[in-house]
Parts: sequence; C-alpha cells; structure tokens
Amino acid sequence: MFILVEILFVFLIFYFWKLQVLDHKEYWEKSEANRMREITLPHQRGLIKDRNGNILANNKASFKVSIIRENCEDYEKSCRKISRLLKVEEDILKERIKKYEFLPLFKPIVIKENLSLEEVAVIEARKIEFPELILQSEPKRFYPYGNLAAHVIGYLQELSPEEIKTGIHSNRRLGDLVGKTGVEKQYEDRLVGADGQLIEIVDSLGRSKGEVTRSESTKGPDLYLTLDIDLQKKAEELLEGRDGSIIVMDAQTGGILALASFPNFDPNKFISRFTPDEWLDLVNSPQFPLMNRAIRGLYSPGSVFKLTVALGALDLGIVTDETTFMCKGTIEFYGEPWACWIENGHGRVNLYDGIRNSCNIYIYNLGKEMGIEELSRYAKMLGFGTKTGIDLPGEKSGLVPDPQWKIKTRNEPWHPGETISVSIGQSFLLVTPIQIAAHTALIANRGKKVTPHFLMSQSELKNKDEAQLGFSGEDSLMIDPSTFEKVIQGMWEVVNNKGTGWAARVYGYDVCGKTGSTQTLSSEKEEGKQKEEEEEEEEVKTHSWFTGFAPRDNPQVVVTVLVEYGGMGGATAAPLARKILDLYRKTYDR
Amino acid sequence: MIYTERHMIDRNLTQNIDWILIGLLILNSAFGVVFIYSASHYLPGDYYLRQILWIVLSSIALFLLLSIDYRTLVTYSFYLYIVIIGILVGILFFGMFLGGARSWIKLPFFYVQPSEITKIIIILLLTAIFLKFRDEYLTWRKGLISGTLVALPVFLVGLQPDLGTALSYVPIYLASLILAGLNRKAIVYMLIFTIILGVVGWNFVLKDYQKKRLTTLIFPGKDPLGSGYHIIQSKIAVGSGGFLGKGYKKGTQSQLRFLPARHTDFVFSVIGEEFGFIGVVLAMFFYFIFLVRLFQSIGYSSDREGVYIIFLVSMMIAFQFLINVMMIIGLFPIAGVPLPLLSYGGSSLLTNYIGVSLVLNVKMRRFVNV
Repeated sequence: MFILVEILFVFLIFYFWKLQVLDHKEYWEKSEANRMREITLPHQRGLIKDRNGNILANNKASFKVSIIRENCEDYEKSCRKISRLLKVEEDILKERIKKYEFLPLFKPIVIKENLSLEEVAVIEARKIEFPELILQSEPKRFYPYGNLAAHVIGYLQELSPEEIKTGIHSNRRLGDLVGKTGVEKQYEDRLVGADGQLIEIVDSLGRSKGEVTRSESTKGPDLYLTLDIDLQKKAEELLEGRDGSIIVMDAQTGGILALASFPNFDPNKFISRFTPDEWLDLVNSPQFPLMNRAIRGLYSPGSVFKLTVALGALDLGIVTDETTFMCKGTIEFYGEPWACWIENGHGRVNLYDGIRNSCNIYIYNLGKEMGIEELSRYAKMLGFGTKTGIDLPGEKSGLVPDPQWKIKTRNEPWHPGETISVSIGQSFLLVTPIQIAAHTALIANRGKKVTPHFLMSQSELKNKDEAQLGFSGEDSLMIDPSTFEKVIQGMWEVVNNKGTGWAARVYGYDVCGKTGSTQTLSSEKEEGKQKEEEEEEEEVKTHSWFTGFAPRDNPQVVVTVLVEYGGMGGATAAPLARKILDLYRKTYDR
Repeated sequence: MIYTERHMIDRNLTQNIDWILIGLLILNSAFGVVFIYSASHYLPGDYYLRQILWIVLSSIALFLLLSIDYRTLVTYSFYLYIVIIGILVGILFFGMFLGGARSWIKLPFFYVQPSEITKIIIILLLTAIFLKFRDEYLTWRKGLISGTLVALPVFLVGLQPDLGTALSYVPIYLASLILAGLNRKAIVYMLIFTIILGVVGWNFVLKDYQKKRLTTLIFPGKDPLGSGYHIIQSKIAVGSGGFLGKGYKKGTQSQLRFLPARHTDFVFSVIGEEFGFIGVVLAMFFYFIFLVRLFQSIGYSSDREGVYIIFLVSMMIAFQFLINVMMIIGLFPIAGVPLPLLSYGGSSLLTNYIGVSLVLNVKMRRFVNV
C-alpha cells in the first residue's frame, strides 16, 4: 500500500518539474499579466482660439466614475447599490452598461461623469465597499463663451460603439469624446494629442499597489481661427431673436471673421456621454437651432443673383453699360405679364440704374437674351451649385438648374418662363449664405476666387494684415476685370446713390452691396413645415438679403446678411450690415 | 504494577516514545506556520499566531492521550462513534454556517469542525470491527457492517455539505479492507459499486457547484472567473514560481491575493510560488520522511490493533496530503481538503496530532503488557 504513496510522490515531483521548470515561462507571463493594470492617462485636446488669442474652446478638470464588471461579486446587487450611491436610476444605469456589453469584463465602463466634489468624496470614502467602481479624472471640454460661435466651433460627443466597430477613429478608445460638428470635427486630427499610459501593480480586487511605468500624455496643439470674437459677438447680437445668418469675411484671404447662425445653442450641453433631455429638445425644435444656416441653409438668392446675370450679360456682350431697357412696372414675356417690384416702373434703365434700383424688368431682359444655358454656366462659373470648400463639415452645394437637370429630376421639359424667374434669383435656384459671401468676394476681387475658411494660416498668424494664403485664390476667372468694375459701380450706387441698399451706407467708407428679397422657404425648413399645417401659406413672407464689401478699391471685408422672413432686403438686412461694417472699420481700418 | 496503575504512564513507556516522529511532526507543522504567515500577514486575524497556539494545544492533547492505552480506546470506539454521529446529526440543525457548509460548532474562543475528529473515531471503530472477526477472512457480513458504519458519517458530512471531508473517510475504509484481506473478487464488486454510486451521486446527490468543480477539473480554462478560477490562479502561482521561486513574501499571486484560500487549502501553492521547485521538493521530502517514519511504525506494533491503527492513520494523512497537492495543480477536483499539518486550521491539526498520538501510543506500548 505504501508503494502507491511512493509512486504518487515521484509522479508529483515530475509533475511539478513540468509545471515549474518546463512550463515556467507561460505561467510567469500569466502571473505578470495578472498583476499589471494598464491605465490610460487621457490627453488634453488642443485649445481653439480666435485670431486675437481669445480662447473659444478650453479644457477643465472633471471626474467620472466607471464600473469594472469583473470586480462585481453579484452584478444585480452591485447595480442596486451603485444606483443608490450615485443616485442614478437602476434601469438607466443598466442601460448604460448594456450599451458596452461587448467589451471584455475587465474594461471600465463610464456610468456617471461630471461628478460634483461631494460625489467624488462619497465614492472615494466608500471605495472598499465598491471594488467594482473606479474614479478617474479627465480633462473636459469647456466653451467659455457658451452659445457664441457654436455653429463654427461645434461640439464633442462620445465615440459611439458603432463608430468604434467601423474603425474610423482607430487610434481612439471607447468613451473618448470626438468632434461631432464644426471645427472640432473638421480639425479633429489636429486637435488631439497622445494619451499617456500608466502601468501599475494591482491586487485581485483591483487596488493599486504601486506604479511600474508611466508615460505622460501630450496635449494636442492649439488651433487658431480667423474669427474675431468682437465681430462674432456683434453679429450674433444683431441676429438675436431672428432666424438667419451673418457672415463677415476677409475679402482678400477668405478668412472668416464672424459667422453667425441663429438660433444657436450652447455646445457645453453636448459634452456628455449621456444624452440629456435638452439635447433632444434642440434636435427636435422646429427652428433647427443645430443647423448652421450659413453653410446648410438653402435659400433663393433673389435679387442678389442680379449681379451674376449682369456679369454674364456684359461678358457675353449682350449689353454694354450704356444699353437701356424701359421699365413700366410690368412686361409681357411668352404671353404672361412679369412685374417689377415698383408698380409704376423705373422708367428707362441702364446697367447702373438696374443694379441700383434692383430693377426686375432690366434683368428679365438680360436673362431672356442669355437663355438658361448661359445663365446656368455663369452661375456655376461664379461659384453657385458647388461647395465653396469652407473648412466646416456638412456644407451644402445648393442648386443651379438647367434643362437637363429638370428632365432628369422632374422628367419635365424646361419652361421658357422659368428662365425669367431664374434671372431674378427665384425658381429652382438655391444658394447658401456662404456661397453668396464667396461670390461677393469674387466680385470684390475683380474675378479672383477665395475659399472661405476658419483655420489661420501660418502667414496670417505671423502678420495678421498680410493677405496671403492657405485657402486663398489660385484661379482667377476669364472675365475681364473691367466688367467687374462696371458691376461694382452699380453696387456702389446701391449703397451710396439712393439705391435699395442705402441703409448700409457708412460715411467715409466706400461700401458696395446688393440687396435681395425672396419668397421661398429654405428647403430644409420646408420639409419640417409641411407637417405643421397650411396656416402659414396665406401670408407671403420674405427672406431678406444683403451682401456687400468695402472699401470699393482694395476691398478688405465682405459682409453677407440673411434674415429669414425679414422683409425687404434694404429694410432689414442692410442696416445690420452697416452695423457690422461700422465695427469692422473701427477695428481694422486705420 | 501498583506503581504503574497509579501513574498512568510508566517510566518504561516514556522511554519508548518515538521522539523522532514527534520532531518530524513539529517540523512539518512549523513549515506550515512559516507559509501561513507569508500568505496572511497582511490580513487581520494573526493566523500564524493562532496556528502556533493550535500546535501547542494539539501537542498537549497528543501527550495527554498517550496516557490512555489505545486498546481501551478501541474497546470504547463504538460509544465514541454513537456520540460523534449524534453531534453530526445535531450540527445539521444547529451548526454554524461558514464558507458554504454547515459544519462548525461555535465554542467560546473558536470554531471546531467535528467532521475532522470523526476520522479518528472511524479508524478506531474499523480497528474494533475487524478485530472482532479476527479469525475469519474478510466476509460479506464484515464488509457490509463496516461499510454501513462508514457510509453513515460520509452521508451526514456530505449533507453539510462538505464533500471533501466526507470523501476523505473513504480511503480510510478502503485501507482497512485491504488490511483485512480484500480479495480480487471483492475489488471488482467494489469497483462496480463505486461506479453505481458515482452515477447516482452525480445525478441525485451532488450540488451544482460541486458538479462544476468536477467539470472545471477537466476544463479549467472554460470559465476563468467561475470555479475554474481557483485552479487557474493556483497553477499560475506554482508555475510562475519556477525553479527557485520568487522569494519569501514576494509571491505576487499570494501577496496580491489572486490565489484563493492562501493560508488554508492552497498553502502549498504559496510554497511553490515563493520557493519554486526547490521548495516543493524539500517540502515533499520532509513530508515523505515523516510519512515513512509513520508507516514504518507498523513493525513496532505488538498486536493487530496497533497494526490497524498505524496503517489507517498513515493512510489518512498520506492520502489527504496527496489529494491536496494534486488539487492545487489541477489533478484533482477542488474538494476543500486541507493539507495536513501545513494548512491553517485547528480542527484538522488537532485530528492529525491525535492520529500521530495513537501511533506513538501503539509504538511505546510494544514491550509492555499492561
């Protein structure tokens, strides 16, 4: 019998030899992995500053608490206790955890963030009781100006599980906040730094027993925008209470000094891993506060388009600046009467009068002579129907119609009367305010294109007055500068010679501009409104446009104003432009 | 002779005490204290001090018990058996529930586990039974009587449920059968009986966690945080110790508490982790010579009772040791069998000391015809 014991002893010695000597490496690695814990030290995102260094997007310290499911003794019981500790409803808590169920058990899942100091103290004090909870601090995005320039800056939101699975942000981890719109999204890659890493020894309950290695995180580089916070403030102040958009742009570089879209929102409310009710309110609001009207609002350009038509007609040689047409208030084309906006008419009208008074009859004639093909060609050449290339995500390209387009999308032939409508910026023609601003800059620069942008180029940074770069105009148009000169003369008269845009006049400053009034709703809004009811249809409401630049020679600034349902362009939009130009002149024109 | 009757222990008797065996017993127990300290010095409760206290108390019990002739104990073994069965029944209703089983009685300063001391009583009882039928060969009648008497405590302790301890009675029984002259035919029947018992047991007796333990013995990687966790962590501890070990109190598996039941059932894993293969071989060597010394005591028995007692005590300790060691390296289900002498725990220690005391008792009375 004792032989059996002896045999077993010998056998066991051999077995220990295998385990401890032959397989040692495997078990050694396992024991190391057992006791090491990797912790990510989150990096600070680069700050976003305006051209004068005012911080538009900052970081502040914040605490979050996560659950490590592996350390739960009893998951259900844990949830119940944690729900009471954090004052989060159990269902909500479980829902949050469920969202990330696919993660391995030892990975922490954030269950509450933006903890108050009291909450931090409570969790810290009851650490022993809750080995499954871990408290971490992280830098949190903070927008000190709140609503200001919200559409430009954008906001951050947690990387969704779907996005992780697609692997777009391959270097980012679950729970990381990434830019969802605006500059935050556009320059995501420029703003992020590198996370640090801490490896520490832990016991089986996950308690730290000391650090092994630590590599610090590096902060992302700061981003300078061409924005001027004072002009931005002014623009938003002026729009307050009205839906619309104001764009102020450096005429030479395309650098945007202000871009306001109203209504706006507070991006600070979005920086949460959990969807607050306010967020849903914003998304579902009929006013679409989240929509950046400057780049996504689609409007008929109305009379602003008359500049495009005039440029085309002059370039084609259909008219000269001396050619006149008679405006009697109405005119008949294709058996239908077409009206000017003044019942009695403007009388005999040349190019300058036509632009100054925004005479429909004059432009009808040009448009009719050019035909839809040429109208469409010039509109596209001058920047409509394509994106301007502004450095914000989600820009829309608008629509320049032509017969082929109509056949293709509506399966209907082009109606000649539609050419007349298009010539005064109505019908199917749709533009965004940023396209109007870029168009205006193109005219101001006598044919040199600029790309609207926010990112401050290196040369802009070094010498803010030096007009250079990054995005600015490579290609000039084939249209003769003298043609632009003539249209600009008309625009000057709009503001300075009792024209429709007189309200934009700044004494001692050569402002050139054009007003517009249009009766079409923006297409995005239309969809929303259709559901609402027809009651609005009875009243004809007018969007109000003004776009202009200054000074006439050596243009520095472009201002584009759109006020939805603002009435006549000259009455509503032009005075707003004047106030902006006033402030611009005080700041920049020495 | 009057002298010896007044003083229970004759000077002749004390001269024949096997001090070497006692030395090996204390030596192995001392090793236990060293590793219990390493595995629990960061816990409240001073387990190593308590273990030292238990060693002292158990040693006193060992010497006191020497004063009673083992033959007297064998004679009264049936009454002891009745008492312990009574206690085991009572414990099912009034016992303390600790660590998943109702197997404890609360005394003023400590808890005791009567199922441990039951082992000694079973040894005495089996000795008594097989000596009664001294002249016969092992018969069905003997096998049935002894089997029933052992099965009863197995059943009662299994109900607590403390399967590890309950099953540790079985090797004692088997050893007694072998000594009584079990023939080949009987071995075949026993095997058939064991298989039937296994099937019935698996389906009607074993609790889910116990079944899980058995399945995780076969597939430890399947459920790393469930019951396989203990085996995996223990194997990692032993394997990562390597040839020389990580050093005393430097085992990450034990110090960082990845290893379960470090100072009790898994104390041998701590030895493997902190002193490596060398430590394991040395620990097994000292244990082996202790077992050899115990076993060889059979030759110093003056009667058949002594042979039974020594053989059964040796087997009891040897098999518990082997089962525990196989358990910590995943060769046996985690049944909750402590390592005799080395694991922390007073009841187990006391039982093993009493077992050794019986062996000493037999040995020192070999020349004396009292």
